[in-house]
Amino acid sequence: MIDGLLGGLALVFHPWAFFFVVLGTVLGITVGAIPGLTGAMLIALTLPLTYYMTPTDAVVLLIAMYVGSVTGGLITATLLRMPGTPSNVMTTFDGYPMARAGKPGRALGLGISASFIGGLVSWVFLLLLAKPLSIWATRFGPFEYFTLILMAMVLIASVSQGSLVKGLIAGMLGMLASMPGVDPSAGQPRLTFDWYMLNGGLKLLPVLIGVFAVSQIINDILELGKKADRVEASSSGLLMSLRDWIRHSANMLRSSLIGTFVGILPGVGASIGSVIAYTVTRNVSKTPDEFGKGSEAGIVASEAANNATIGGALIPLIAMGIPGSVIDAILIGALMIHSIQPGPTLFLTNGDVVWAMIAACLIANIVMLFVMMGSVGWVARLATIPRQFLLPVIIVFCIVGSFGLDNTMFDVWVMLIFGLIGFALERARYPLGPFVIGFVLAPLMEEKLRSGLMMSGGSILPVFTRPVALLFLVAAVVLLTWSLISEWRQARERGR
Amino acid sequence: MIESVDRRVDIAVALGLIVICAIALFGTRDLPPGTFEPLGSAPVPQATAAIIIALCTIVIARASRRPHANSRAPDGVIAGKDDSDKANAGRAVITVLLTIGYIATIHMRLATFAVLTTVYLVLTIGWLSRFKPHLLPAIAATALVVGFGCQFIFTRVFIVDLPGL
Repeated sequence: MIDGLLGGLALVFHPWAFFFVVLGTVLGITVGAIPGLTGAMLIALTLPLTYYMTPTDAVVLLIAMYVGSVTGGLITATLLRMPGTPSNVMTTFDGYPMARAGKPGRALGLGISASFIGGLVSWVFLLLLAKPLSIWATRFGPFEYFTLILMAMVLIASVSQGSLVKGLIAGMLGMLASMPGVDPSAGQPRLTFDWYMLNGGLKLLPVLIGVFAVSQIINDILELGKKADRVEASSSGLLMSLRDWIRHSANMLRSSLIGTFVGILPGVGASIGSVIAYTVTRNVSKTPDEFGKGSEAGIVASEAANNATIGGALIPLIAMGIPGSVIDAILIGALMIHSIQPGPTLFLTNGDVVWAMIAACLIANIVMLFVMMGSVGWVARLATIPRQFLLPVIIVFCIVGSFGLDNTMFDVWVMLIFGLIGFALERARYPLGPFVIGFVLAPLMEEKLRSGLMMSGGSILPVFTRPVALLFLVAAVVLLTWSLISEWRQARERGR
Repeated sequence: MIESVDRRVDIAVALGLIVICAIALFGTRDLPPGTFEPLGSAPVPQATAAIIIALCTIVIARASRRPHANSRAPDGVIAGKDDSDKANAGRAVITVLLTIGYIATIHMRLATFAVLTTVYLVLTIGWLSRFKPHLLPAIAATALVVGFGCQFIFTRVFIVDLPGL
């Protein structure tokens, strides 16, 4: 493990790779700080530019963007009461009141320090768990994989924003969208409607850019003109004292552990991690009334947890090829673009890339700390660029990015259509996370099911007779039942 | 997990999804059964589409039972919100139409990427900024820099093909 990590660090400290870490972190922080632009959007738009990079440089750049984008939203959440990304929503509750009370530097300092610790704690888990888990996962047969993905899909739908039914619909719609094209098992064109352009299927990148960037842009246009009260950034209080570190250490550790665990769960992501950590911290606090009015513990809990989900979410990605968050689904796409097959054998087939990913996660966290400390005021000013100017320019980049994949306008139209579908789904409160993860996982799920059925002569019985497969299946059923019951209870309470 | 979405939107989207799934079911009806493996190409998309249709039916049934959003709101609140929402909805619709026009003109190779992008940005940024006279120089500058700058950077620096003539 130490050798692998040192090798990864050596790759990341190569001048070009290190430049990409710094660039990615700065871009991530900047985009994360601009309300309406998200890390998923940035990473999806950057993917086409990575075609010409080495796989190591590409993943290092994208992971640095991931780390930066989750953290950058803290600035606008605190100074403008506008969370730069959904994962910073909880930070607005206490960050903005504290900034309004004349302590913007302290609010930002607490958030930045907590983000750093959250990232660091989850990185330790990434380092310790990824390889053992991948070794364990190499023993999985097709039925184990099929039920694992089934469980992941149910989990994603259960914990996503909105109702369970809509989460399930979104996930299955993503699965359906991945099915047109020549069926790889049978060589049979499927859902192509005799249209040759569909023989190659719908590609991940145009779908991603459409669902995450175009739909978000349309949503942002609907929100134009809404202004926020702005508090000027101040560097006073940015650095935490030793007493502060001691006072907040338990909260930082607890929230980081919650974030890491939530991150490991497939598809759950940073938003839910920060909500759970914030709620737990308020429940155990001796002064719960202060939460929502500028509580230091609230900022620390939210920011430690949302950054901790990054390392946590990378664990199932690296160990099993299962995305822990939406951005991880895009990272899987990035690996596949570079002909790297994610999955349990990743350590064996592309160990250097994996260790570079792990090392980049650590280095990006450290770079993030310095960049955030040195540039909060500058980034806060960038966040006020008029969106009337910004959004059309991003549309142009979406078109260039989609076209660049295969030099075909078909992909640009696919991007636009999926942008409109994503917008419609979001207006009707369908979560987009399950859609993308369904799109990424469905081919793998179908492949495993079909190869499993070939091995068993068409019998589905091994799902029930193989212990690990049965464990995943039972977990899926329990999750589904629990979610249905809790939704039914909520509906009944609302009806009273 | 509170559903606050307008029931008309809910029903319209669910119906749209049912139509998509019906097309998928139609598209897989003639697929032959598997020859070398037991499942074949059709069952997975068919099962997926069927489950989505069943779930969409639940969404429609739930939405139909829900009172209309406006009927629950206090007087005046919705009216004020609707005005700004309608204005922004108009902006969004025109922006989408301009984007469709932009993509179509690129597809038809009517001009170079730089020219088409500059025109698109002038129209779109101008439209979103309500063509305020004091913003026009900034709009023109942004459009020119992005349009011709992208063409230069992508074709000369990244050596990537761009759509258009």
